[in-house]
Amino acid sequence: MQLHPRHFGRDLREKLVAKLMKDVEGTCSGRHGFVVAITGIENVGKGLIRDGTGFVTFPVKYQCVVFRPFKGEILEAVVTMVNKMGFFAEAGPVQIFVSNHLIPDDMEFQSGDMPNYTTSDGSVKIQKESEVRLKIIGTRVDATEIFCIGTIKDDFLGVISNPGAAA
Amino acid sequence: MRFGGKRDKRRGRAGLADTGTSSERCHSLNSGSERPPIRWGRPLEKNNPSTERQSVLQREREARDWNVRIAIPLPANMSRRRGDDDEVLEPEEDEEAVLDEEEEEEEVDEGKSGRKRRRCEFIDDVAEEDEDEDEEDDDFLDGGGRRGGHRHNRRVRSRYIDDIAMVDSDGEDDEDDGEDDFIVDHVTDLQDDDDSRRMHRRPLLPREDDLEDVEALERSIQARYARSSHTEYDEETAAVEQQAFLPSVRDPKLWMVKCVTGCEREAAVCLMQKYLDKGSELQIRSAIALDHLKNYIYVEAAKEAHVKEACKGMRVFHAHAKITLVPIKEMTDVLSVESKAIDLSRDTWVRMKRGKYKGDLARVVDVDNVQQRVTVKLIPRIDLQAIANKLEGREVPKKNAFVPPARFLNVDEARGMHIRVEHRRDPMNGDYFEKIDGMMFKDGFLYKIVSMKSISTQNIQPTFDELEKFRQPGENGDGDMASLSTVFANRKKGHFMKGDQVIFVGGDLKDLKGWVEKVDEDNVHIRPNAEGLPKTLTVNEKELCKYFKPGNHVKVVSGASEGATGMVIEVEGHVVIIVSDTTREPIQLFADNVAESSGVTSGVTRIGGYELHDLVMLDNRSFGVIIRVESEALQVLKGVPERPEVALVKPREIKCKVDGRTNAQDQNKNPVSVKDVVRILAGPCKGNQGPVQHIFRGILFIYDCHHREHAGFICAKSQSCIVLGGLCGNANINGDTLASTFSHLRTPTRVLQSPGRLPSGAPMDSGARHRGGRGHDRLVGTTVKVCRGPYKGSRGRVVDFNGSSVRVELESQMKIVAVDRHHISDNLVVSTHSSVPRCGTSSETPMHPSRTPLHPSMTPMRDPGAIPIHNGMRTPMRDRAWNPHTPMSPPRSVGEWDSWVDANPGSWGTSPLYQPGSPSTTYQAPTPGSGWTNTPGCNYVKAGTPRDNSHAYANAPSPYLPSTPGGQPMTPISASYLPGTPGGQPMTPGSGGLDVMPPALGGGNEGLWALPDILVNVSRAGEDTVIGVVREVLSDGSCRINLGSNGNGNTVIAHPTEIDLVVPRKSDKVKIMSGAQRGSTGKLIGIDGSDGIVKEDATLEVTILEMNILAKVAQSL
Repeated sequence: MQLHPRHFGRDLREKLVAKLMKDVEGTCSGRHGFVVAITGIENVGKGLIRDGTGFVTFPVKYQCVVFRPFKGEILEAVVTMVNKMGFFAEAGPVQIFVSNHLIPDDMEFQSGDMPNYTTSDGSVKIQKESEVRLKIIGTRVDATEIFCIGTIKDDFLGVISNPGAAA
Repeated sequence: MRFGGKRDKRRGRAGLADTGTSSERCHSLNSGSERPPIRWGRPLEKNNPSTERQSVLQREREARDWNVRIAIPLPANMSRRRGDDDEVLEPEEDEEAVLDEEEEEEEVDEGKSGRKRRRCEFIDDVAEEDEDEDEEDDDFLDGGGRRGGHRHNRRVRSRYIDDIAMVDSDGEDDEDDGEDDFIVDHVTDLQDDDDSRRMHRRPLLPREDDLEDVEALERSIQARYARSSHTEYDEETAAVEQQAFLPSVRDPKLWMVKCVTGCEREAAVCLMQKYLDKGSELQIRSAIALDHLKNYIYVEAAKEAHVKEACKGMRVFHAHAKITLVPIKEMTDVLSVESKAIDLSRDTWVRMKRGKYKGDLARVVDVDNVQQRVTVKLIPRIDLQAIANKLEGREVPKKNAFVPPARFLNVDEARGMHIRVEHRRDPMNGDYFEKIDGMMFKDGFLYKIVSMKSISTQNIQPTFDELEKFRQPGENGDGDMASLSTVFANRKKGHFMKGDQVIFVGGDLKDLKGWVEKVDEDNVHIRPNAEGLPKTLTVNEKELCKYFKPGNHVKVVSGASEGATGMVIEVEGHVVIIVSDTTREPIQLFADNVAESSGVTSGVTRIGGYELHDLVMLDNRSFGVIIRVESEALQVLKGVPERPEVALVKPREIKCKVDGRTNAQDQNKNPVSVKDVVRILAGPCKGNQGPVQHIFRGILFIYDCHHREHAGFICAKSQSCIVLGGLCGNANINGDTLASTFSHLRTPTRVLQSPGRLPSGAPMDSGARHRGGRGHDRLVGTTVKVCRGPYKGSRGRVVDFNGSSVRVELESQMKIVAVDRHHISDNLVVSTHSSVPRCGTSSETPMHPSRTPLHPSMTPMRDPGAIPIHNGMRTPMRDRAWNPHTPMSPPRSVGEWDSWVDANPGSWGTSPLYQPGSPSTTYQAPTPGSGWTNTPGCNYVKAGTPRDNSHAYANAPSPYLPSTPGGQPMTPISASYLPGTPGGQPMTPGSGGLDVMPPALGGGNEGLWALPDILVNVSRAGEDTVIGVVREVLSDGSCRINLGSNGNGNTVIAHPTEIDLVVPRKSDKVKIMSGAQRGSTGKLIGIDGSDGIVKEDATLEVTILEMNILAKVAQSL
């Protein structure tokens, strides 16, 4: 954790923690997943002054809540985009794509103003803002993001609430 | 062909790969090593090989019909098996039959030889026999058969594995008296070799009577060869490595002899004949003509002299034919088989090799092995019209370069064209066909009988599209899998890799999964994923398919989307559907083309000179950033700020790459340059922020790593963004803009030395100081005075800003020095009004140089002629807010031109001056409505003019005009020199670059450029570009436009900035938009580069005019 010299002073530690939170929260690491919140600082090591810049590097050990989806995990997510290839949903910071191959066969894509997937009898509709329960079947973890493929083609998966219904 | 001896045999083994058996063979070889060498009793025939040979040759003559490669001697058992060709395709099934037959023959054999036969282990299996028999098969060596025969004899009886495949095995169990009866042969290999060689050299006996019944002959040959082969080699060979099969120095050599082109086969046959005639005199062993080798045949002989002797006096050889020795190493290559011809079977996919269907995918419907003909099913490429013409007896052009596109035949359509369609039943298989002009159709497909030679069967990899097409009519889904599986019957080898997860798709083990352990030629060793099975299974790769589970992350290793990665979302047999990582689009692929991988790649990042994230011009109007590179196309995020618009373009559709650095201004008139971090305040991506990657025509391409779409790129108007860290208040906009002006001026110039350059600088107020905090950008380019330190009192321009020190280019000393940030007073800046005197003074001088270059600009702007203009003004204008880039890049392509052309408010470089290149924007600037609010608004303020000026553009010109002695009024072109003077500026758009536009010159007056009746493209924010016809030009420059190409659509009022001319094509009616003939109409009779040749309607004169002053006139008018 690098700190500018101007922050040195009494509240160095606070500054450090603040900066840590600012820098780390919301990021994603391939190993751990998304850092949701920092829950505690374990210790702050000795600072190391960088030659030339005056910046000081502190090793900081901290605990945090992370979010990392796993294969097979069941998640609830909000649909953000529906297109003919499937729909994208978001569960917190994770984007999940549910391909139309992984949507039950009886649901069909309806284009139009509000693209959606509807069952033949029209009872279930997946559109933007719908909440769906889905199962993650694959994840791809990059340095900066996690992307998942999900399915709702399974028992007990699917829409759990609709924006229309709620309203 | 015979190399003689065991080596020969081994070599053959090494050289010949036949499907399905090699592993078994290996197996037996290995187990053979455990046994002591056992030798069979020597057969009687061994002493009499010449007889054999004689008859063999005879047989061979008979066999000539089949012959493809002629060699001496033929395998003994060949003839008998010739009939089995079809059966051998399914070894297991016909095994029994063959065995029976064998046994019969054996009996005969026994009688003759009186020799006891033992059951022995044969390496050989039926497949090997195929080799023997496949005389028709070009790729086979006759020697193979013989070798096979030899091998039989060398097996020990313990090879149970091979029993089933044994073909030539003899008396079997009943005769099995035990191993005591075997003669254990201690003779060494070497001796053996010698034996066999000696045997070959033995002269042939006189011919046996030709009258002998063929059957009997066959039998006798069979018998003899069976015998002799049994004796020749001993068991030990099995243990010897494959290497030993290769020819060695002791073997006869192979000579390459030149012969008359086209007579290769004849040569070989003649040699054979000669051998028959002359017998022993001819000391060659074999002659080989390879189909693929023209002009040469191979002759096997121990000495070159023998070859010469053999070839002497023959017509097919040149008198002094060149004889070349084939190096031992290459001998195997001569005869090795590249790949076995694939047995054509129904439903195989093939490709046509010639004709108008060349390259087309076809499916085998029926195979006629006898006639070498195949019935294939094709998507017809027929021109019904042509057929109709033909049937009606009209003239049909014979040579037709045009190949009709492949599409299914519609019978009704054909009938509609009065083509007689016969509906008849095929007597052979009872199917109904439509017959048109001798062609057979069914279900829209063309059924065609073609020669086997005209189709290629190797490595047919139908693409998905092709297959989709093929199953279009009728078939839906069902039978699909079957057809797909046949696709893989002849897929390329070696696509399985160790560690691949596979699933059995055929055979007894269907649906078993496992992992690839090892890959041989055709066989794959599998570690099955099930209990109770052996550790590894060896299976033919045809039974396997790569297996993926949904969710696997894979990489495409071949095919159209090679290099892409994605996640498997569905698996349907051979087909997997993956979601690409980069596009999030599903791709259908064959499992074979995919391999598991963990890394994420977008594949290639460069294609044809365009790299990922480059800014490119697509055409004059659209540009964008490459956000994805596929194997053949690029995805470009277009520079449309209203919504993200992605286009898939091919590299050739891209006009050029743009790398001119331009600047823009943000909402608060802060300059934005590349790499500045901006936040988007409006538009669909409101709230996002990130560094600017490209700036072009006032459009920013911002990279926001949190933005998930379009590779993180966002396109936004510069005005709807704000530079982070920039000033937002308008309070000190004056000073601010002053500074911003200079932030453009990064390039130090010598011209700065000119005295006129630092006139009464408007004091820079505190705003400037704040800027220090923001970054170096703000100060760089400003003129400062050093107020402390060794350089106190000197003035200079800031060229760099680094922490607390500033590098200043001193005016007085022509050098750059580092000065403490606090030692300079940064309130010295060029002010607007400085330009007045400057114009007065400096423009005089520069005027001269500029005059010359001007001419080109008057001539049609073929080579975007404004360059000279830049040159002309470079000197005087240097210190102004002139964008330094412009003058510096004279050799500019048209595309780059455009980069300057737009009404980019941010920089001078884009001032309308340069517009000759693009007609579309040329006329925009003068219109007060748009041009001025944006362009000048910034330009002038930037230039340091008091803000108020920015409003009164109409006035602006007047004060300055007189001050420029260049005499604008006289030469309209002179206007182009004026950009420096803010006053002149407004007119330039109309006149300057384009020179010939009087109305604009007249005083920055409304864009009269638009004329009624012309066709224009209207592109308004948030809407697609529509074509329309100008009905009326309003006083403010806006146009009333009727949409639609005929002007029959809605009427809209469009701003001049929203419209641009429709470029006319040849022989279009045009209106001249500029110049003396403005308003007159004509016909475009030709286009020459950027010039159009116009024949005026009124005068009927032909004039050459710039294309961009020509507007297409609406048709209906």
